[in-house]
Amino acid sequence: MVAPEYYLLLAAAVFCIGLFGVLTRREALYFLMSVELMLNAANINFVAFSAYYGDLTGQVFSLFVIALAAAEVAIGIGIILVLYRNFGVTDVTVPRGMRW
Amino acid sequence: MSVQQPSTVEPLAALPAQTGAAPLPEWTALGPVLALVAAGLLLLLWDTVFPNRRTNTELSVIAAVGSLAALALSGWYLAAGTGRPATGGAITLFAEAITIDGLALFFTAIVASVTTLVVVASRDYLTDHETPGEFYSLVVLAAAGMALLASASSLATIFVALEMVSLPSYALVAYLKENRGSVEAGLKYFLVGAVSSAIFVFGISLVYAATGSLLLSDVAAAFGDLGDLAGVAGVGVVMMIAGFAFKTASVPVHFWAPEVYEGAPAPVSAFLSSASKAAGFAVAFRVFTEAFHLGGEVTAVGIDWALVFAVLAVVTMTLGNFAAAVQTEVKRMLAYSSIGHAGYALIGLAAISAGGSHNGAVMGASMAHLFVYGFMNTGAFLFIAMVERWGVGRTFEDYAGLGTVAPMASVAMTVFMFSLAGLPPFGGFFSKYFLFAGAVFNGFWWLAAVGALNSVLSLYYYSRVVKAIWIEDPTDALAAVDSRPTALYGAVIVAAVATVVVLPGFGPVIETAEAAATALFG
Repeated sequence: MVAPEYYLLLAAAVFCIGLFGVLTRREALYFLMSVELMLNAANINFVAFSAYYGDLTGQVFSLFVIALAAAEVAIGIGIILVLYRNFGVTDVTVPRGMRW
Repeated sequence: MSVQQPSTVEPLAALPAQTGAAPLPEWTALGPVLALVAAGLLLLLWDTVFPNRRTNTELSVIAAVGSLAALALSGWYLAAGTGRPATGGAITLFAEAITIDGLALFFTAIVASVTTLVVVASRDYLTDHETPGEFYSLVVLAAAGMALLASASSLATIFVALEMVSLPSYALVAYLKENRGSVEAGLKYFLVGAVSSAIFVFGISLVYAATGSLLLSDVAAAFGDLGDLAGVAGVGVVMMIAGFAFKTASVPVHFWAPEVYEGAPAPVSAFLSSASKAAGFAVAFRVFTEAFHLGGEVTAVGIDWALVFAVLAVVTMTLGNFAAAVQTEVKRMLAYSSIGHAGYALIGLAAISAGGSHNGAVMGASMAHLFVYGFMNTGAFLFIAMVERWGVGRTFEDYAGLGTVAPMASVAMTVFMFSLAGLPPFGGFFSKYFLFAGAVFNGFWWLAAVGALNSVLSLYYYSRVVKAIWIEDPTDALAAVDSRPTALYGAVIVAAVATVVVLPGFGPVIETAEAAATALFG
């Protein structure tokens, strides 16, 4: 059996790749994919440590996370659609009507 | 359904026992949540059966009845002592994934009252919109998520409930889909929210990796002896704080709030800044006291989390109040003031010392503050909804002379502003007084001092609104005030009355809150 530390490292790496994508990509669809990576990094931890502890909770919860990620993407696509209708782009840095 | 021993199960004993009836079955403890879910589904059904209605009065009535039922149920349970130690302790359902105790019922009452005000006010705000059915069902279903969030006692239910709140909220903020401000706000809320929930769930996964369980009680037990995995658990807790900060609009994930509250339809801003914030605090209170040993003799992972919250509280309230002081638009000012109030409420987590005798009092005062804030802040945003509906304008100058054309609502707005600032005759004064007093008694006088200084500063920008409404001369913009939206008016007046009535009725509120908070530390 692979030692659990390697799963933690793998999950952390996937999470950081996702976070990097979120911070650098301007295209809304890339943003969705990057968030998906971050969520799946959590799933790696859940499944790996579920097996490590011999406890099913983590595996079942990773299914919950997958379902919620799908729901989140559905809402996200809807918002990106109205973004495109109003601003004509799917670049998340274009809407600047209000200052941060 | 329950894992409790039959001998200890005596739910809802107080009221039915007096009348001689058998105790209600345990699942009825979830009644408030079920009432909100039922109302949400009924709204969708109604909208499907009668898709071409020109009026949204029926929808508004269904939503209001559902949220009033939730309010009545949670109020009844609170009065009957459901989930209190005296009546058999907290009621746990679904293998301890859900716990109904004083904290859950108290925050459910806050959420239900805010929801009632918002759905009633929305009848007038949404008069000319094509699809009001979705709006009402999303509001009510999000409220159900918030009520569930307050009762969730497993990291799994917490995350699912958190998403049940977030997903409808994104859609609600972007509800005015022809309005660029609303769409921009919805996009920014979604971007920040999606990243925060991903960070939050990664934090949960690290806590699970370190402890092997998602139940708060098991996590607490495992945190006593983590061994090599203490670092993993510590990172997990920090990431979970980021998730809570997003929901409560506190530093470091506060920056979405001004944009979102400004761009969203005003009733949605009221809903998010009052109910959603309260629900976020509910779950933060529960997770940190039950799972992460806040207020215990041994802190989780050897870090003093109360000190972390103290720093966040000071930064949040100072940043919110200073930024609010320089705004030119009333709605944006209220958004920053909402960040400032998140800072005050954070004192409930910050002024907790190991084994401190006033821990329950501080957290209870913070809960009472969120209760009062639910009325005064919702009322203030609904007043802005009314002004938006008239089309008067958004800046302080545009509000000049509103008192001459809408005196009743302007009196109500004055009450909200002075209560938010914490002036003595109103509810906001009492909750802040108890909060700062609790912090001082627990040895955190400097936290109370920063809070008091911030309150003084906040009086400046709140009174700017009052000055514009009553003292400055009316402008031509007031010609737009041509209608009397009855439901909006009613909601604003009810919120104002509630803010004032808290004056004689504050005793039961603070007692209930302190009892609920003390039970968490017990």
